[in-house]
Amino acid sequence: MRYVVLLCVCDSYHITVMAEGSNRQDVVSEYLQQNPHLAHWVESLRELSETNKHWHARREFVLRNMEVFPTIQPGIPSSSLDRLLSLSKVWANQTFLGCSYPQPVMDKVKEMAEGIGVNKSPVQMTKDEFVGKGKRPSVSAVDAESCVKKHKTVPNDSDSKAGEQNTDCPNAAAVKSGPLPEAPAEHQPFFNRLYKTVAWKLVSAGGFGPNLDHFEILRTCVESCKASLTCVFVPLKDIPDLPAGCTQREGQVCELRCHAVYVGTGYGRDECAARAMASKEALKTFQGRKVMVKICRRRFQGRDVEDLVLLDEQPRSSILPPALSYPF
Amino acid sequence: MGVPAFFRWLSRKYPSIIVHCVEEKSKECNGVRIPVDTTKPNPNEVEFDNLYLDMNGIIHPCTHPEDKPAPKNEDEMMVAIFEYIDRLFNIVRPRRVLYMAIDGVAPRAKMNQQRSRRFRASKEGVELAEEKKKMREEVFQRGGYLPPDEIKERFDSNCITPGTEFMDNLAKCLRYYIADRLSNDPGWRNVTVFLSDASVPGEGEHKIMDFIRRQRGQPNHDPNTHHCLCGADADLIMLGLATHEPNFTIIREEFKPNKPRPCALCGQIGHEIKECQGVAREKKGEHDEFADTVPVSEQEFIFIRLCVLREYLERELTMASLPFPFNFERSVDDWVFMCFFVGNDFLPHLPSLEIREGAIDRLVGIYKDVVHKTGGYLTEHGFVNLERVELIMQAVGVAEDNIFKKRKEDEENFKRRSKEKKKRMKAERGPAFVTGGQFAPRALGGRDRPMPVHNARHTAYDMRMQGSNYQQNKDAASSLKAMLRNGGKDPAGPSDSTDLHGLKRKAEDSDSEPEPEDNVRLWEAGWKQRYYKTKFDVDETDDEFRKKVVKAYVEGLCWVLRYYYQGCASWKWYFPFHYAPFASDFKDIKDMFTDFEKGTKPFKPLEQLMGVFPAASGNFLPPTWRELMSDPDSPIIDFYPEDFAIDLNGKKFAWQGVALLPFVDERRLRAALEKVYPDLTADEVRRNSLGSDVVFVSKSHPLCDFIKELYRSESYEGTGIPPELCFGIQGALSLEEDPILPDKPVESPIPMLRDIPCSSAVLIKFKDPQYEDNYVFKAVILPGAKIPQKVLKPGDWERSNRQPWRPQLGFNHNRQQMHLDQSAFRTLGHHVSSPQQGGQHGPRPPRVAPTMGGQYSNAPPPSTYHQGNYRPPLRDHQHSRQQGFPRNIPPSHPPQYPQLVHGAHGWDRAMQTQVSAYQQNIQRGRGGAGGFQQHVQRPDDRRPQEGYNSRSYGLPPPARRYNWN
Repeated sequence: MRYVVLLCVCDSYHITVMAEGSNRQDVVSEYLQQNPHLAHWVESLRELSETNKHWHARREFVLRNMEVFPTIQPGIPSSSLDRLLSLSKVWANQTFLGCSYPQPVMDKVKEMAEGIGVNKSPVQMTKDEFVGKGKRPSVSAVDAESCVKKHKTVPNDSDSKAGEQNTDCPNAAAVKSGPLPEAPAEHQPFFNRLYKTVAWKLVSAGGFGPNLDHFEILRTCVESCKASLTCVFVPLKDIPDLPAGCTQREGQVCELRCHAVYVGTGYGRDECAARAMASKEALKTFQGRKVMVKICRRRFQGRDVEDLVLLDEQPRSSILPPALSYPF
Repeated sequence: MGVPAFFRWLSRKYPSIIVHCVEEKSKECNGVRIPVDTTKPNPNEVEFDNLYLDMNGIIHPCTHPEDKPAPKNEDEMMVAIFEYIDRLFNIVRPRRVLYMAIDGVAPRAKMNQQRSRRFRASKEGVELAEEKKKMREEVFQRGGYLPPDEIKERFDSNCITPGTEFMDNLAKCLRYYIADRLSNDPGWRNVTVFLSDASVPGEGEHKIMDFIRRQRGQPNHDPNTHHCLCGADADLIMLGLATHEPNFTIIREEFKPNKPRPCALCGQIGHEIKECQGVAREKKGEHDEFADTVPVSEQEFIFIRLCVLREYLERELTMASLPFPFNFERSVDDWVFMCFFVGNDFLPHLPSLEIREGAIDRLVGIYKDVVHKTGGYLTEHGFVNLERVELIMQAVGVAEDNIFKKRKEDEENFKRRSKEKKKRMKAERGPAFVTGGQFAPRALGGRDRPMPVHNARHTAYDMRMQGSNYQQNKDAASSLKAMLRNGGKDPAGPSDSTDLHGLKRKAEDSDSEPEPEDNVRLWEAGWKQRYYKTKFDVDETDDEFRKKVVKAYVEGLCWVLRYYYQGCASWKWYFPFHYAPFASDFKDIKDMFTDFEKGTKPFKPLEQLMGVFPAASGNFLPPTWRELMSDPDSPIIDFYPEDFAIDLNGKKFAWQGVALLPFVDERRLRAALEKVYPDLTADEVRRNSLGSDVVFVSKSHPLCDFIKELYRSESYEGTGIPPELCFGIQGALSLEEDPILPDKPVESPIPMLRDIPCSSAVLIKFKDPQYEDNYVFKAVILPGAKIPQKVLKPGDWERSNRQPWRPQLGFNHNRQQMHLDQSAFRTLGHHVSSPQQGGQHGPRPPRVAPTMGGQYSNAPPPSTYHQGNYRPPLRDHQHSRQQGFPRNIPPSHPPQYPQLVHGAHGWDRAMQTQVSAYQQNIQRGRGGAGGFQQHVQRPDDRRPQEGYNSRSYGLPPPARRYNWN
């Protein structure tokens, strides 16, 4: 038995513009209907080759970020408009074409695009795939290499060749399941902000210690970063990959994720205890000098999968606990 | 067109279009190089009038060659380019015009391709450098030796783009080069030289086409001009056909597959960078005297005769019982048009049409089937009849499903076969060590009885030593040597680490990688939906979008054809998608296209640089312009991704895939540049401006005085060339601000080349003849043009019961065959030890060959062309060249072909005929007041009835018999 608790965190802004799926588009269309002069103008910004889906997403990006560039006046070409358009294209190219840009640009766009949800293109061809299949042998990106090392430490990963293949050609796995190779980079800015929030919160709570309500702290921090925590509870006895020495058969295990990135797992007599333990584990990660989102290999339902994991900067020697959910 | 497979396909299907070049090499005497006298008749037994050079095909191999070390600096590059042009000039020996065209700013439609090439080059360069570094470390750790890394900067081939300083410099150097040759080389004396540098907009080959088209359009054009165009691109063949000039030849480097490349790390040939062992170089020859000789021969050239291709096409395309009269010229145009479906630089090819799968044959088949329904030709003078095209497309569309299924099947078969082959090879390899000598394994029940073993211990010892010593010794010696060279810094034991690395290497081997999953699966039902979903990210239901793609593609087809036949219709148009639609989507396309926007202007050179360069090549741009490529606040930052995805799109290699780069928004680019325009320096402003073609002639050219007069009278507005002065070539001349004038010095821009103290060249600006806006260049054979003699064996040759068919090997149908006389046979018998084997010897001992030679041509044998995986073409009606000496030829062979014009083999007579032949050629150009042999007066009576090609040239006697004075 397993059930998912979605802790939805929405501030008022998010509720108005950011409802799920098609509703969101409706909101944009409704807004444009109320402002016909804007509708006409914004339509003129559409590019010849843009599909409806891509255009609607980009239109939302443009409309949402209009106030960032107060000098933009609909209908009048200006350099600030061009800057906004450029950033909107950066975002669209990144999302739909698989381009990457210098980090400052990516960070900026990531921030601006927060809240605009799109289904990614079905295929994401990546630079790693290109490298892997090119005429030259792979010179993997730094991430991929560190990832290989990670695999080596996982004892279950007996088939090391498969692991290497996956780094050479993450797409093969990514298409079927698993995080996209660029996902860590995409999530990193958010967790940087979360890291700061947690740090301040802990300061105001008197420092990290055993007597805190860890879940409450983590939840408020995440919420103030305009995101939500996902808790998955699974009874211990339902987990297939327990270490052999484990004799416990009762109780619950909780796994916490934020933006689909795994942050921690905890065990307890009941769900509340498990959740508290998981939060404590998660907050431990935030004790380091920084946090990093990485793709790591771990067990899930008896198979090896690639997962997005939040790690501190220390090389982790311990084995990651098996995943309880797999949102990819 | 970037379709490498196209030329291979063409030359395999139509083998006779290829003629190997005969090149007279310059000789050395007492260490002095004696230049070839290019005023002599062309050894290829044909005289060309005009030579056109698509310079980018020369610049690239000269600046970053693949098969030899790169030139050290820019000056060496320039010299390499000069030498290359000299070589071509020597082979082709144009008598009237030399036209050099460097790529200028290209139409927008081409920009996306250029962009993707440059982004890829930049990316690959970075990756190569990284890999080199990694491999170097590894090799050093293993105790290997590598030559020290050159400190010199990597030549960024991206600088071969109009607007860069490099191109500007190149233009200057070429001016010097032309002036020098016009002053010093007698072969150039009567040639009119045109130079269209990178400041003139348009791609090189299209500038050439524009020149030809515009000359053809005016009344003084000689319809029998023999054109020779140099360049390797397959689309030159299309362009040549599109001119409808009867005498059109293309010259290109011979395509040799699987040429060995030196390892990027140690510079040795025989392995790739990832297999580099860092072993010391082996000695070449006893004293290392062959160290720098590359084992491949010098790149040779081939001619592609378009008139022969036209013959082939005529056979293939001619249709009987048509509802309208058959017009071969129009069907050629249609053929050219259909080739565009398969691939061109401006549009992605249709997914179902793959040249390797015989797509052009399929199209021609469909074309002939459908012609009764279409009721006419697809194109006329470069304008497309969309209604008829739709019928063709629909016919292709019907077959699409099967094509995809077949493709998958073939692929599976291929995989299976190669797997089996691998297995077989493995099985055949046998054990690693087999005992020899008296211990050699013997078949049971064999005839020979087993012998008693002698001295078994000694034999065993020998075998042991032989087995172990040899390999180990070699390894140990090489690593010891390497260690010594590295200064013994590396203590790592060589033997075990080699094993370790060897194993690791194997696991990383890229060949064993699984192929990426193909999500489109064109061979399964629902492929169309999947294709649109994965490639365009649109749903099945989005008909509107699909129509948009088709419309853009239809526009593209019209644009490309117009570009080839009429010139650039719109500088602005481009295909705004990364993928093509399916043939079956071409429905109701009749009204999809009307006309292009008129009066569009090309980009300025620096603007174009901003459009095609990645940020990593920003050093070619002024600082403030460069900033726009990387500044996070730049309004055009989205044009310059750091990295991008490449969709293999069903192909095997990254370079075949589609680079998913964003398209450039012209309006935003211009708006952003407006602000940085004031930052340009005066020199940059000059580089950014549009230039003009220039023409050079030497003092002895009749046009020279006319030009001198223009300069003296300072008449600045354009003046037309009098047609009688320059073989009927027309155009407007206007004064150049920085002219080269006769009897004035010309400064050398290259330190290692000397200045010209007194040049005899003159330079002036040139402008092609202008036509009205809506003038249509006719795609027809001009009146007065003579179609060259047929080369292919007529289909009814056997029935007509004439003498045996004699295939034509070169340009000249009446090529004079050489024959052996008695003394030659004696010599031959002396040198060839057993006369019974004579037939297999082929072009054997070189010291015998030049003095006699049986029935072999003086062209190089074609065997080199069929190396590697190139299958020899079917020898249906082509040169079945007889190599080797026929055994049964009687010692004094009677002249086999009595129709020869000059039957005599005497030295004097042959010489005379050559002179007359050349003289004739000069006479033909009316104003040919050349300096060569003017005193020999030829009666002009023979000329008119003899076509250009039917002129027969005497075979030049072996060159060493020339009297050089």
